[in-house]
Order: sequence, then C-alpha cells, then structure tokens
Amino acid sequence: MSAETAGPETLGHLSDEPKGEDPGTKGRTITGKSPLRIAMGRLLRDKIALVCMAVVLFFVFIAVFAGPLQKLFGVNTDTVLPAQFLELGGVPRAEYGPPYGPLTMEHPFGIAPRTATDNLAFWLEGAQNSLQIAAIATILAMLLGVTLGLLGGFLGGAVDRFLTFVTDFFLTLPFILAALTIAPIINERFRDSPNYATVQVVALIGVLAGFGWMSVARLIRGEVLSLREREFVQAARVMGMPTGRLLIKELLPNLVAPIVVASSLMLPAFVSAEAGLAFLGIGVTTRPSWGQTLNQGISFFEPYPLYLYQPLIGIVLLVLALNLLGDALRDALDPKTRR
Amino acid sequence: MRRTKPLAALAVASLLALAACGSGDGPGEGTEGSFGETDAGKDKDPNAEGPAPEVEGAESGGTITVFLPGDYGPDDLDPTNGWSVTGNSIQQALTSRSLTQYRVDSDGNATLVPDLAVDLGQPNDDYTQWTFQLRDNASWEDGSPITAEEVAFGIARSMDSTAFPGGPGTEYSTQFFAGADEFEGPYTDKDTDWTEWEGVEFDNDANTVTINMSKSFPDMDYWGAFMAIGPAPLGKASNPPAYGQNIMSNGPYKVESFKAQDELVLVKNDQWDPESDPARHQYADKFIFKFNADPDQTDQIMLSDNTESQTAISNDLSASSYQKALDTLGDRLVQQSAQCTGFLYPDYEKTDLAFRKAIAYGYPYEDVWAATGQVPGVTRVQANSIMPPGMAGKPDYFVDGEAFSYDPEKAKELLAESEVEPLYSAIYYEPDPLAVAGAKVAQKGLEEAGFTVKYTPVQESPYSTWTNPDDKLNKSLTVRGVNWCSDWPSGSTFIPSLFRGGATYNTGGFAEESIDEMIAEVPNLPIEEQADAWGEIDEKIMTEFFPAIPVNYYNNLFTFGSKIGNPSGDEALGAPNYKNVFVMQ
Repeated sequence: MSAETAGPETLGHLSDEPKGEDPGTKGRTITGKSPLRIAMGRLLRDKIALVCMAVVLFFVFIAVFAGPLQKLFGVNTDTVLPAQFLELGGVPRAEYGPPYGPLTMEHPFGIAPRTATDNLAFWLEGAQNSLQIAAIATILAMLLGVTLGLLGGFLGGAVDRFLTFVTDFFLTLPFILAALTIAPIINERFRDSPNYATVQVVALIGVLAGFGWMSVARLIRGEVLSLREREFVQAARVMGMPTGRLLIKELLPNLVAPIVVASSLMLPAFVSAEAGLAFLGIGVTTRPSWGQTLNQGISFFEPYPLYLYQPLIGIVLLVLALNLLGDALRDALDPKTRR
Repeated sequence: MRRTKPLAALAVASLLALAACGSGDGPGEGTEGSFGETDAGKDKDPNAEGPAPEVEGAESGGTITVFLPGDYGPDDLDPTNGWSVTGNSIQQALTSRSLTQYRVDSDGNATLVPDLAVDLGQPNDDYTQWTFQLRDNASWEDGSPITAEEVAFGIARSMDSTAFPGGPGTEYSTQFFAGADEFEGPYTDKDTDWTEWEGVEFDNDANTVTINMSKSFPDMDYWGAFMAIGPAPLGKASNPPAYGQNIMSNGPYKVESFKAQDELVLVKNDQWDPESDPARHQYADKFIFKFNADPDQTDQIMLSDNTESQTAISNDLSASSYQKALDTLGDRLVQQSAQCTGFLYPDYEKTDLAFRKAIAYGYPYEDVWAATGQVPGVTRVQANSIMPPGMAGKPDYFVDGEAFSYDPEKAKELLAESEVEPLYSAIYYEPDPLAVAGAKVAQKGLEEAGFTVKYTPVQESPYSTWTNPDDKLNKSLTVRGVNWCSDWPSGSTFIPSLFRGGATYNTGGFAEESIDEMIAEVPNLPIEEQADAWGEIDEKIMTEFFPAIPVNYYNNLFTFGSKIGNPSGDEALGAPNYKNVFVMQ
C-alpha cells in the first residue's frame, strides 16, 4: 500500500470559488447553493457515476444482508463431507450443477470442486468480508492520515519534521513483505486462542490501514499548509481560538473534498489488496474470501471455468465501479477539472 | 525415508489427505485406475552383469525434460547428503554409483543387482562383517578408475552426522557400523584419521572393501544401494559443502549445471563404461530437470502434446487434470506405488484403545482426501497395515475383520466405551489452502462422530511441532501424525522408526516393552525368517495395541510425452524410471 491511492494534484479544492457565472441562473433570482449541493448536482448528471453507484450499492446490499440472503436461497457456508458430491478428479457430479450439469435451485451458483461447499454462500460471504475489511481499513487509514496530516501541516516546526519523517519511513516499508512477516507472528501468538479468526481479521485490517495512511497524511498536510495562511484561519487565530477547535471547526470542513475523494479511491485498492493477500494464503484463511476462491479455482479453470469466474467477476465489478465512482466524485467536487 | 517432497505442503497435505477406495469397492474397480500392487524390489540377483539388457526399441539421442511440479528438489548433490525421493531417484539412476543398485524392468519391477561391487556382498555368518569385491572397469568422469580407498572414504563420510545432518547415514551408518561412538566422521572428527576407523577396511590391490558392523545388519546389501554408500574423491576435492554444488560423477551422466530449487542439467559422461554397469543405460544425450515447476502449467504442457511436451516427463499430476489425462494419455499416464504409509498417531499415554478405534471409524477418509486434491482410489488408498504393499512380509489382516470406513455411529459407541475425554486436538499447516480445507472436512466428520475437535493452525512443517518434545503446543495435542516411506523393502526401515519406544518419528509416544523386545530380536533371526517376523510384529502392534491409525498408502502419477520411449515407474524409489527412458526419434 505504499503506492499513493490518489495524487494531491488531482484532488479538488472545495474552497475555491466557482469561476464565472453559472449560465442557468441568468435572468432568475439568484439563489445560494452550497458547494456540496453543486457537486451533487454534477454527480447526478454523470451517467457513468450513476451506474457505478448502483453497482456499489448492490454490493453493499449483499454485504449487509449476506446472512438473510443465504437463508432466502437456502444455502450456507457449512463444511460438508465432499466425496459423495464429486467425480474422481474433484469436479462436482452432473446432478449437483456445473460444469457437467445444469444449475440447480439448491445451489444457484453450483458447488465448489474438491470441497463441495455452496458457491453462492461463499460468494456472498466473500463480498461481505471483502467490503467489511476494506471499509474498516479505509476508515482507520483516513482517521490516522487526516489526524497526522492536520497536526503536521498546522503545527509545523519540529512536529512537522517528525511526522514527515514517520510518514516517509512507513512509505519505505514494503507492504507485501510486512504482510508476509506478520501472518506467522500472529499465528504463533494467537493460534491457541478461541478468537483466532477475529484476531486474524483485525491483524489484516491493521496491516492494510497501517500501510495505507501515508498518502492521505501527505495530501492533507499539503492542503493544510496552503490553508493555514488564509485570512479566515488568521482571523480565528487572532481571536484566540484553541488549536483543536481551529483544526476541527475551521480547517476540517475545507478538507471534506480531498478526504472523500481519497477514501473513495482507497476503498477499491483495499478490496483488491485483501483479495490479493488471500490469494497468496496470508490474508484471511478462517473466513470465506474471494481471493481464496480464486486461488482454488485456478487449477480447475479448464474443467470448471465458472468456479473461477464467480469471484473474478465480483472483484472486477466492485473494484471497477468503486474506482470510476471515485473519479466521478473527484470531477464533481473539483470545478477546475470539469470535462 | 521420510517423505520430503515438497516438505511442508506434503507433510500436512498428505497427512490430512486420505484415501477413498474404501472397503467394499476396493482396488481394480473398472477402468477408473486402480491401485497397482507391486513387490517392490524384493528380488535380488547377485550375478547380474553389465551391460544392462537393452530396452526394446531403444534409440540414442535427444533431450529429455523432466518437470517436478511443486517439488524443490535437493539443495545439494552430495551423495552422502542425499535422502529424498526426488534427489536419490535422479542421482542414483544417472550420476552417482554405489555398491549395489536396482534394475527395473519395463513393468516397474525392481531387482537388487550389483553396481560398483561385482556381487551383492559377502557377509559373515552373523552379518556383522560384509566384504564387497569391486569391479575394475568403473571410473570417474575424468577417466580415473574408482579405487577401493575412494569407496571406503565415501562410506566413512556417511558417518559424519554434523557435516551431513540430513543424510541417511545418520540413521543407518551410525546405527550399525562399528566404532560409531569413537568416530564422528572425517570432517567433524579432527583427531582420528578416517583410515584408522575400524568400521571400514580397504585393499586397493585386491580391490575390496570390508565393512564391520557393531551389530548384525543383514540388510547391508540394500543399504549399499544408497548413493551415500558409494565413492568420494579423496582429500579436499570432496569437502562439504562445496562438493555438493560440484560433484564428480561416475554414472552414465555428469552434471553440466545445477541451480538448487531451479534446474539440473545432465549430459552424457563418455568415461562411463556400459560393460561395468548391470542396470543403467545412456540413451538420451541430455536430461534437464526443472524443479519447482508450476503444477497447473505443467499439467497443461503435458496434456497439450506440443513439441515441448513430446520429450518431457512430469513426476506429478493434479487431481483436476486426472480425468483428462486418463482419456488422452493412455499408457503414458503411469501410476506408481510409493511404498509409503500415512498415519494418524494418537498420543499413547493420553488415549485408550477405544478412543483410537473411534478415530479409525470417525475419520472421514474419502472426504478429507477429496478436499485435499487427491484422486480417490488412485493416488491414495486406504491402508490396513503398517507396512505398505510391496514390502517383504506385509501381512494381510484387518484389525476389526474388515477395513475401517467412516462410520460415525460406530465411533460414537466406541467413544462411550472409552475412558478418556473425547478431545481430538491436532494441528494443520495453514499456508496450504488444501491442508486448511482438509482440516475443516476432518473436523466436520469427527464432530459428527462425537469428538470435540480442536484444530490449531501452524506455519511451519507439522513435523517441527510433532518431533519437539518441549513444544507447549505439541504437549497439548492428543493426535499427531506421521507419513513414512521405506528405504528398502524390509520392515527394518519402517517399524523400528515409528514404533520403537523413543524413536524420533514415533510421534504418538508408543512404548511397549514386549514390542521393543520383538524389534530387537529380529536381526538375530535367520535371514529368511526376518520378513515374516516383521509382518508378525506389524500385526501384533495393530491388533493388540492399535497405537496408530494407518490411513493411506501413496501412489504417484507420472506423465510421459508421446516421444518418450518406455514410459514406466521405478518401484524401488517411487519415481519415473530414469534409467530406462529414451527419446523416440
């Protein structure tokens, strides 16, 4: 995650006044519109953004209601004794769905090779885990990045130099290497614990967030550096506003746009990172994950391609939709980059 | 030898990877591929002479590429350090000669025949001294003849457990050769010159080597088939570890280049004299071994029958490609028994007989096997005795009158009789997704059979936990495991290593004085009674104590390209028959 999720130069500045007159207002009573409402209006006119939003909402719906949806379809992720369902080579028998037979109502997505578990249930829970982990990691990375960026940018001096050093230091650590090292350490320490599954997820979120906040911190620091010399900040200072209040009440509202854009681009990066780690066998091993399914699907690509396509379509759709939505958000929030 | 193939993955995968082909519908069911029973190398022919009989239709020339999917191969080529199925099968067939060797016919049947010696050795009456008369026409790749002194030096090297901790000498040379307590090997023992060691004597003029034993060792002729009991250049030329990267060959091929875990290229050795060798051939010009090949990619290459794969061999086949390989390859898909048994080994002190039998009925063999990517009845077969098929004296019995199969109700009944807590506490190797899947399925099956299951993930080979008596996790386990392969077809390489009290790989801690006494007694019996004696011990251990659940025997699948002649396996080593393959022009 040492790669930046979004460069500062591409991000919007909500504080900039829109240049020139909005042609639609000519001849009418001039009504005030908040910059966010203007941005929202632009977003709603963007067709790609709307489609992407629908896709993202679809996945969010799946993630939130994965449990009830499984009940609705009558499927679950329970382990089964697989031999009775499989051909000799580990591919499901024709009566249980693809690749040799038609899809069945019992298993709408078919069953997995080798383990004979239900694909739909695993796909739903994979979506849930993927989005859950990515969302929490994004929130944490944002909190950390924004806090450190605000402090460093506003306080300057020794604090800034120290925080910049920490940021640069974290940027030098290779993410994959760290993830590879941490997995066995976590295992060694917590393998006896009944909460091993939870610990594993928490550790993964920690790794993702811990190596994802740096770009945000840099971005916010840059923004704050330019904002803190502005008149309204100077005025607040003169009035003796305490630093904490100044940061939260005066600076933070002006940083909403870059924060929204950065997080909307960080989320898909974390979704693919989670899948990537699971694919390598160092992410979540105790819960269903798209990455795991991909890994298992590779050796069955020839006899049973559908099994590989399911998680693949999930990841591609979700990451693509999130990325395009992030781009659209950036365009909408930044008047200077209107297409 | 312990199965060391892809050490970590296999250790667990195979432990959890158990076989179908259960009781009733046993071997040979239709054409679906059946478990080929062999009589691995039971035969001996002390009078075999070079050159080796020609393989029918054999032609010279060509390059053979061997893919070893997911198999890292040996880290070095030092014959003294070689104790893996992969490394030994390649080197013993092609580069490194020893006192004896196996001759494999086209059916895969192996016969023990002389190699550097002219016969299979002359033992004294109680097998405490073996004399080998060496042949005069064997030479190194540089043309110099192999002397008795060099063979004796090679044997002395096998005593060095410090320089070669992973070598087979640690198990056999140091156990059986005389003076093992006074001589620690030529590199570790600086005080004693190796020629002063009483274990081996040589006579360069008569060209003989005499090995003195500390106790009766009737299997010396089999032990002589290990490349560790072969010659090494004298002096500094063979100092470890440098020698292992740059060995001096004496077989039909010599090393052109070797990159550990990547590639080994062998080319013809023009100094090798076919007249001197009763079993090896020199058909192909070149062998290229590709270690750690990608399994799925290799399957695709082998099944595609393109130019690259026509002259290639793969020593493994994924289950997912099995059906297609069966349909398209015909007799170029070779199934080879590996003379290995996988066990679940419950802790002997913490469990009782009823508990152990409950596991035998509560373990979902076929399901775990399917989940870990094995082919039911083909690559794994349910085991019924300690010794795998093909070993001399393997008894035919079933502990409960018939083969164990998954029967949760019966397991529950047995658990009710058991006086210990029904806790099944075991470990699985987490980095391998197949092992994780296997553990989940095993847990499901065992829970349905009434066990409380606690599976703990580990990141290293399970053997490092199982064989460490001080490990806290290890102490908490109630069930461990071990997979064992024979070094030669005698119970002496199998039963003592697993069922003697205190043995390293006796992971369940089984210790019964009566059994230890029987094991100690066998080498003193007349040689023709020993095989049956091992069979008797096998049956006694299982029917009286049932300390370990024999879960499966192993079979390997090899695939051969359409231009490879004589596609067959080598039952002595459970590997493709490198000695006899050739390229059809």
